[in-house]
Amino acid sequence: MIEPLTYVVVGLACVLLVASAYYAVKDRLVDDRLLAVVGLVELGVLVMLVLGLVGLGHVTDSTEKATFVAYLVSLPVIPLGTAFLAIKEKSRWAMGSVAVGAFAVAVMAVRLQQIWNSYA
Amino acid sequence: MPDPTRRALGGPGVVLVVVYGLLALAATGRSVLQILGYYDRAPLAYTLSALAAVVYLLATWCLVRGGRWVRIGVWACTIELVGVLVVGTASFLVPDAFPDKTVWSHFGQGYGFVPLVLPVLGLLWFRKVERDAAAAEHADSAAVG
Repeated sequence: MIEPLTYVVVGLACVLLVASAYYAVKDRLVDDRLLAVVGLVELGVLVMLVLGLVGLGHVTDSTEKATFVAYLVSLPVIPLGTAFLAIKEKSRWAMGSVAVGAFAVAVMAVRLQQIWNSYA
Repeated sequence: MPDPTRRALGGPGVVLVVVYGLLALAATGRSVLQILGYYDRAPLAYTLSALAAVVYLLATWCLVRGGRWVRIGVWACTIELVGVLVVGTASFLVPDAFPDKTVWSHFGQGYGFVPLVLPVLGLLWFRKVERDAAAAEHADSAAVG
């Protein structure tokens, strides 16, 4: 796993977290600008997924490997799922769910990197 | 047919769905690994993990569907609350039975105490959905009468 990529993903997720929380507070609905940030986060976690699967041999313990793959595969689902809810639900609360999802992405990306680094 | 008067997904429900969904995902993933990988290490704790995972999945489903699932959701949240309180207390009193972290041990400390707070929020939300539905039905019958 490339460490800078993890930082980029965590940074983007934090931007999404702050932006969607701001939207929720201001009672603004989802728009193209916010969806663009969601798209960038999604792109980042997809690259992580590919790189993680390619370098899977790096994580040797079988249980940790399973956790690692579960995180990799779950990550891309979160921004897509919450963005879908936000488009469908059109309320400030839906922006809150995007914020929760962004937080989860940031935490899970860090966890992935921690697992990866423990095999340095 | 979804019951429009008992829609559980609108408003704050949409946030609950995401949090519940994430917790269900985490609990399911962890318990599958525990049971397949090293069940013998702590059979009790891992069985409870699996139970927690199933209840979280059920609660997520109830939030998404609404309608008659609301009542089942109330049960799911009640089981979660009892579970996190009982297992949380037990993990402090009998630490030997919980050598590995589970969703409910130490009152959900490993998950930022979300498992402790979530069933309360879930119960409050389901109760509001029920009450709004009852009020709507009452208004309907008053209009007819």
